[in-house]
Amino acid sequence: MRPVVRQGLVAPGIVAALVLMTLAFAGSGAALAVLAAGAAAIVGHHLWHLDQLTEWAVASLDAQVPHGSGAWVGAFAALHRRARNHAAHERDLRQVIERFQQVAAAMPDGIVVLDASNRIAWANPRAQAQLGLELAQDQGQPIMNLVRQPEFLRYLETGDYGESIVVASSRDAGRMLALQLVPFAADQKLLMSRDVTELEAVARMRRDFIANVSHELKTPLTVISGFIETLQDLDLDAGQRTRFLQLMQEQARNMQRLVADLLTLSALESEHNPLVEERFEVAPLLLELSADAKALSRGQHEVALDIGDAATVHGSRDELASAFGNLVSNAIRYTPPAGTITLGWRVDADGSGVFEVRDTGIGIAAEYLPRLTERFYRVDRSRSRATGGTGLGLAIVKHVALRHQAQLEIGSERGRGSVFAIRLPARRVERAPDSPEHSPGTSDPDSAKRASGEDASTSTGAQRGTGP
Amino acid sequence: MSDHTNKQFDAEMESIRSGVLSMGGVVEQQLTRAIAALEKEDDAQLIDAVGENEAAINHQQIMIDQQCAQIIAKRQPAAVDLRMILTVSKIVNDLERIGDEVKKIAYKARETYGNARLARVRYYDAAQALGNAMSMLRLALDAFARLDVVAAAEVIDRDTAVDAAFASILRQLVSYMMEDPRTITPALEIVFIAKSIERIGDHAKNIAEAVVQVVKGKDVRHASAQEIRAEIGQP
Repeated sequence: MRPVVRQGLVAPGIVAALVLMTLAFAGSGAALAVLAAGAAAIVGHHLWHLDQLTEWAVASLDAQVPHGSGAWVGAFAALHRRARNHAAHERDLRQVIERFQQVAAAMPDGIVVLDASNRIAWANPRAQAQLGLELAQDQGQPIMNLVRQPEFLRYLETGDYGESIVVASSRDAGRMLALQLVPFAADQKLLMSRDVTELEAVARMRRDFIANVSHELKTPLTVISGFIETLQDLDLDAGQRTRFLQLMQEQARNMQRLVADLLTLSALESEHNPLVEERFEVAPLLLELSADAKALSRGQHEVALDIGDAATVHGSRDELASAFGNLVSNAIRYTPPAGTITLGWRVDADGSGVFEVRDTGIGIAAEYLPRLTERFYRVDRSRSRATGGTGLGLAIVKHVALRHQAQLEIGSERGRGSVFAIRLPARRVERAPDSPEHSPGTSDPDSAKRASGEDASTSTGAQRGTGP
Repeated sequence: MSDHTNKQFDAEMESIRSGVLSMGGVVEQQLTRAIAALEKEDDAQLIDAVGENEAAINHQQIMIDQQCAQIIAKRQPAAVDLRMILTVSKIVNDLERIGDEVKKIAYKARETYGNARLARVRYYDAAQALGNAMSMLRLALDAFARLDVVAAAEVIDRDTAVDAAFASILRQLVSYMMEDPRTITPALEIVFIAKSIERIGDHAKNIAEAVVQVVKGKDVRHASAQEIRAEIGQP
């Protein structure tokens, strides 16, 4: 291109100058010759600059504007400014686009840009991970070839994108994705994807919880209203009446306990209820608990106390007392008469404080352990109700432990007994300066042997629902 | 052919490809449900849904087959296009068979509900093996969408793992049956489930082989993994 341009402008120019000069010499003398030579020089000068300008115009966009002289200085300078402004403008635009892409890439949700025929034009890394796309090879691929869930296909075809849809991920078993299409520009679409596995799980738990609570309240209510009808309709003797009223009272107490536990749980969960941080000694609390345990057992079990290290604990005394109390009452309810229940406290080498309740009760089979924390989960429903369990006790224990950054540790073997322990972190435990080697009150020396071999399984963080 | 006819032909080819993948999507959904049926106890709704969807899969197979026959009759495609149409027909067949196996699995799962001793094998080992088979199918369908022979070769490799899972489930069941003859009836149901899972793995492998065939133009149905790797130019 360039040589052609050069020939096109310069060659005729030179020819013209030569012709002019020849004419001058041939015609009229030296003055005219000088004039002709000057004219030729001016023409040559302009042609050279014009040639430079043309060369610049056809070169790539970022080529330097040539420097000119004479009349061309102003024109070239203006062009130069224009080119500089243009470059700056382009840089700004590129930055805007880059920033936009960075923003889109950093979005916590997946974004896929689809063209008019639903082919993938662009996707951010999140969308690529969630939907199993790989931009490098999938650009131009119809989205429905890779996101194949029938629900999505139907959604895409309806053209009604007001709501998002929730589909099971085919890449990650068990994950749920919310997908939403958003039309933009003339005929393009954005596909937004979000992982809603946890949200869905919470929603399901809430539904289950309400269903469970209703069921738990309905059962005693049915019993009570049944008795009321009987008392209204039948003429009963005094003995029968008393018996019925006693049964009604029992059911009413069950309901009271359930409501009380629900209130405790909701208080523990409430955000407006910060943990009370106080210091208290462990030993007196354990003595109280053991007295309560003896009262609850009515002399049917042996209740032993094993306080290894005197210590002070930081935390809410009321909450911990309620959590420990729940473990103790569980132990009593699931241990047959003549069994032994041991309440223990020790400070381990790492400084963490362990409160534990050991029983010789019916125990829990290993496969039920992971589910014990769930509200209203019971291994044996009838037994739990018969002993006055609400199904919420261990949920309360779990919440208290969580609020104290403590761990609930469970070891159990069917038919041989269970150990439930709450391990408080070292920073909540302060060992007494001269703690006695062994405090009085241990009635069963064997129970001091802590890591018992019969604890077949220990699952950290799992708990027993109020009734195996 | 004129430009217009070419475009229409391309659209028709694209349409059968998308048809296969949409049918694949339904089969994948069925597999998700079957896994849930194995993991859960007693979800009649789920199993009914699997049964109802089976009919939709069969219908899709017939539709796509008809489309293929029409293209062959009307356009008389050659070379790559003909290969693609024949492959589609094969893949659709495998997908339909997977649909059948999934239905069997869901129905058999119902028969084993309520047996605590065998529940572990069902909801742990069998569900996991089915999950592996499902990821094979997903990978095979992705490979078909992308015409990606490397991914197809991976599917073919993975089939061994699904076969191994089948053998392991069988061994476990035999030991249960020897221990307690009362478990024999439900254990036999699980044997059928395991066999179906193994078949699904085989069908997924067939689909992957079809992908290699459509891209490379070579029939690799009876080739070894090594030969396939050599064919696609992988070490």
